[in-house]
Amino acid sequence: MSTKEQREHIALLQGTLDLLILRTLLLGPVHGHAIAKAIEFKSDEVLQVEQGSLYPALHRLIKHGWISVEEGTSENNRRAKFYKLTATGRRRLVVETSKWDKLAGAIARILRPAEQEGRP
Amino acid sequence: MSRRKRMLENLDQDIRDHIEAETQDNIARGMPPEEARYAALRKFGNVTRVKEETRETWSLVWLEQLLQDIRFGLRMLGKKPGFTAVAVLTLALGIGANTAIFSLIDAVMLRSLPVENPSQLVLLKWGARNAPNIQGYMSAGDCPTDMRRGARNPSGCSFSEPMFREIAQANVFSGTAAFANAGRLNLTGNGPAAVIGGQLVSGDFFRTMGLKAAVGRLLDPADDTPSAAPVTVLNCGYWQSAFGGSRDVIGRTIELNSIPFTIIGVAESRFTGITPGSDYDVWLPLSDGQRIGTSGLMRWNDRQADVAFWWLTIIGRLKPETQLAETQAVVSGIFRNEMLHGSVPLFHGGGMAGPPASRPGPLAGDAAVRREMAMGNMPAPMPLTPGMGPIEAPKKAPKGAAPQAAGNKPTATSAPPGAAPVGSPTTLSTAADNPELTLVPAQSGLTGDRTRYSDPLYVLMLSVGIILLIACANVAGLMLARAATRQKEMAVRLALGARRTRIVRQLLTESVMLSVAGGALGILFAYWGAHAIISFVSSNQTRPLGFVTGIDLRVLGFTVAISLITGIFFGLAPAFRSARVDLTPTLKDGEGGSASWGHGGKWFSMSNALVVAQVALAIVVLVGAGLLVRSLANLRSVDVGFDSHNVLIFGIDPTLTGYKGPQVDSFYRDLQGRLSETPGVRSASYSMMPLLSGGLMITMFHWPDTPQDQESEADMLGVGPNFFDTLHIPFLAGRGFNASDFEISASNDAPTPTSAATPVIVNQAFVEKYLGKENPLGKRFGESAGDARGPASPGYEIVGVVRDAKYNDLRREIHAMMYIPQSAGAASFELRTAADPRAILPAIREVVAQVNANLPLFDVKTESEQIDLLLFQERLVARLSSFFGLLALVLACIGLYGLLSYEVSRRTREIGIRLALGAQAGDVLRLVVKQGIVLALVGAAAGIGVALGVTRYLTSMLYDIHANDPLTIIAVAVLLTLVALAACYIPARRAMRVDPMVALRYE
Repeated sequence: MSTKEQREHIALLQGTLDLLILRTLLLGPVHGHAIAKAIEFKSDEVLQVEQGSLYPALHRLIKHGWISVEEGTSENNRRAKFYKLTATGRRRLVVETSKWDKLAGAIARILRPAEQEGRP
Repeated sequence: MSRRKRMLENLDQDIRDHIEAETQDNIARGMPPEEARYAALRKFGNVTRVKEETRETWSLVWLEQLLQDIRFGLRMLGKKPGFTAVAVLTLALGIGANTAIFSLIDAVMLRSLPVENPSQLVLLKWGARNAPNIQGYMSAGDCPTDMRRGARNPSGCSFSEPMFREIAQANVFSGTAAFANAGRLNLTGNGPAAVIGGQLVSGDFFRTMGLKAAVGRLLDPADDTPSAAPVTVLNCGYWQSAFGGSRDVIGRTIELNSIPFTIIGVAESRFTGITPGSDYDVWLPLSDGQRIGTSGLMRWNDRQADVAFWWLTIIGRLKPETQLAETQAVVSGIFRNEMLHGSVPLFHGGGMAGPPASRPGPLAGDAAVRREMAMGNMPAPMPLTPGMGPIEAPKKAPKGAAPQAAGNKPTATSAPPGAAPVGSPTTLSTAADNPELTLVPAQSGLTGDRTRYSDPLYVLMLSVGIILLIACANVAGLMLARAATRQKEMAVRLALGARRTRIVRQLLTESVMLSVAGGALGILFAYWGAHAIISFVSSNQTRPLGFVTGIDLRVLGFTVAISLITGIFFGLAPAFRSARVDLTPTLKDGEGGSASWGHGGKWFSMSNALVVAQVALAIVVLVGAGLLVRSLANLRSVDVGFDSHNVLIFGIDPTLTGYKGPQVDSFYRDLQGRLSETPGVRSASYSMMPLLSGGLMITMFHWPDTPQDQESEADMLGVGPNFFDTLHIPFLAGRGFNASDFEISASNDAPTPTSAATPVIVNQAFVEKYLGKENPLGKRFGESAGDARGPASPGYEIVGVVRDAKYNDLRREIHAMMYIPQSAGAASFELRTAADPRAILPAIREVVAQVNANLPLFDVKTESEQIDLLLFQERLVARLSSFFGLLALVLACIGLYGLLSYEVSRRTREIGIRLALGAQAGDVLRLVVKQGIVLALVGAAAGIGVALGVTRYLTSMLYDIHANDPLTIIAVAVLLTLVALAACYIPARRAMRVDPMVALRYE
């Protein structure tokens, strides 16, 4: 039965969380919980972030100056911190994305031939 | 900081909100609220760790954690005040002892010269392959000098005055200064006459040093001209002690050696002399040297213009823009030129390698005096202070008399002849000798008294270093024991997710806190300790100590550094041990392991090793101390050859107030007569210098029937009538000196000697060395016909033989020695008293004042005090090293005691079971004592091994005892074992008293 999709949770590669956060913030300021939700949702829930690890990552990005933080009100009318991409962060995202593409491409090129051979 | 704070604000709130939002989502998906919350928490992960990690992104965590560790550490240390107190005290002793000794090393060896910008000052040093062809050489001990006869590559830092003038005029330095010891100055015009020490300095001296006047003005070049009125600058300390610090002294006149000098100012207080350890009372212009020196035998006449008399030390201040090498090239060029091409008066060249002068310098005629410096009134601020430095008579003494100054203070020696071939050149040196001049930083070049103290200081530093190691091992042992009791705490922390590095760090913080507290207390100990040592040192000096100690920045830095290193050092082992805890058994079990000790248990544990190390190190310190103490005892029990009890000695120098020739002798005779009749005095005599004063004079002569160019030598001392009776030196043959002996001696001193040989009395060693079985009485030697190279001399005739007696100091072997009738020069009186010699001192002063009220007594002491002074360094080192040895012993035994007590308390239950099962108290006692004694013995064996290898570095300080003396080593081992037994006994007794019922119920 090949249609049954095996739902697997994939642990994030080191450093990719930062990239995902930056990408998520490209759409506009978001608060912490929403970022986690967005990453899960967009990856069809394949990527399961241990939500707590978001916070050290967010602070790391703030320290680098790639994102900033502002006070706002969440959808359920509570005060929350909204994270926003800065101009530097935007540039960084472009750099990081192209780096990622290269990496993914390279890995794919290595993996694909083996995959084809395996199929009769 | 504020950004960090802002960012971390509400982190908790954010996390709560996050979890809340997740919970709501889960509920929306249809989970029951309880489960929804649990799922949200699980998905979030470890909240504490998230917080921690978020904080860490803001990098100052280490500081935060440090503060946290310190707070926690303080709480932990406060909980166990007993442990804390013992650890801090132990560390304070270790660190304090190190700081104290280091502060002395700092003061003596490291402190920068007390002048402006000392790094710019350079000392001029000369060197050559062979000694220059010079006539007189004087050094005040400012730098290491090698002018011994036949020395290879001799060197030194004294120069002639013309050389100084030439270098100063070359204008290569921004300032050039020369100085020389002015010698003993007889001060009148300020209360009773006194003898003070002064330094002759060139006019530019104070400006070159960049010094300011505390009061009045300092010397300037205008004062340093022959026509200028004599003026003087006072040392600030001397000004305060002798003139009460009164500003009125400016303009006052005092008389120095009967020449009126006007006081123009006081130097700033930090400056006691440029050379480390020097402390001059007054400074005089160079040009006044001749005025104050004419009456003595120093013969200042002509010295100013004499290129062959080297007596000035020269310091230059480098111009800021020039390189050292450039300046050196210029100065060395001047020096070489003068050495190779400057002409030397014919006298010098011709007189050099002449036949042995038959008479010692101080007594010799005019020609000889030029070549042979006198001991008697040698210009020295402390000429008769016992030698504390490694002074030995040169093996081959310079021709004529070679006075060995006390200490390594001024020495004046005649020029070493033989450097230039006979009848050779009229230049000071030849190209083959390659005379050179180098500039060395004044800071390191001017050694002065440093050399005298460096050896004992290094030995002491070594022993306090070992003490610190013992203290470290001791505290490490305490920490280990404590770590064992904290195992559970550590296990809980590790189980809760603490990283091991974090725990190590926290424990290290605790140990560093202990060591810093120990260091703070140690500084206090060091302050007292250094003071005690300094006051001991200065109580044994006739003059103030030219070193200032104190806690300066370097010492503080040293203390802080060793505190931190100590803390890390002793904390490391326990910290790693704690972090390596095996969680499960520790959490399950209560206290105490189950291994029983003594039964093949873990003998090789860290705690045991630490105690063994402590014992071993203590043995090393104790053996060193034992050797030094026994050396001192050996020196004290040396047979000096005369009766040193109830002898009062004092120096007096009538030549300072203008007595000349025969007047001096009759003055002595007169004084001797009056003193002998003083109530309380049994007999009185005098000599050129006292026995065992550290001073020494060696004379060279020709012994009959030896090759013409071979010189023989003997120690020599001029003595007055009754000298041997007064000092109780028995005659073995012949007779003492009579009045006609003194007449012959005095007339042989005159420029035209008589034909009669000077009568001498020799010691046993002389007879053995030169005469063997031959009858010594009437034997003549040392005759010379006299020729162009030296004056004629009638030689000596032996009239008596006396028992051997020590001359220069206690360590020097008794050499062949001849006593001659003393005439002229300064002298030291010896009075044999009926009772305490100090008691009759006022009467003695009165008698001297009756003869001449302007003549001060100097170096007044009893012969026993003199011997004590001679042994000052040995006493200091023996005392301190035995103190440190005891400290080491006590620390090691506390370590042993601590370990055993801990073991006993840890094994209370085991002991209880043993007792319950029928063990006797004696068995328990043996159990505990056995461990202690085995540890002590292993440590002692290791320590003896180390000591055998290390003590040879002490050899130069030992006397009549081998560095590996078995008796000392055995005694130390026995002492240690006994003390270790006592240390074992207390815990063992506690173990014996264990009540099985209580022990078994325990827990």
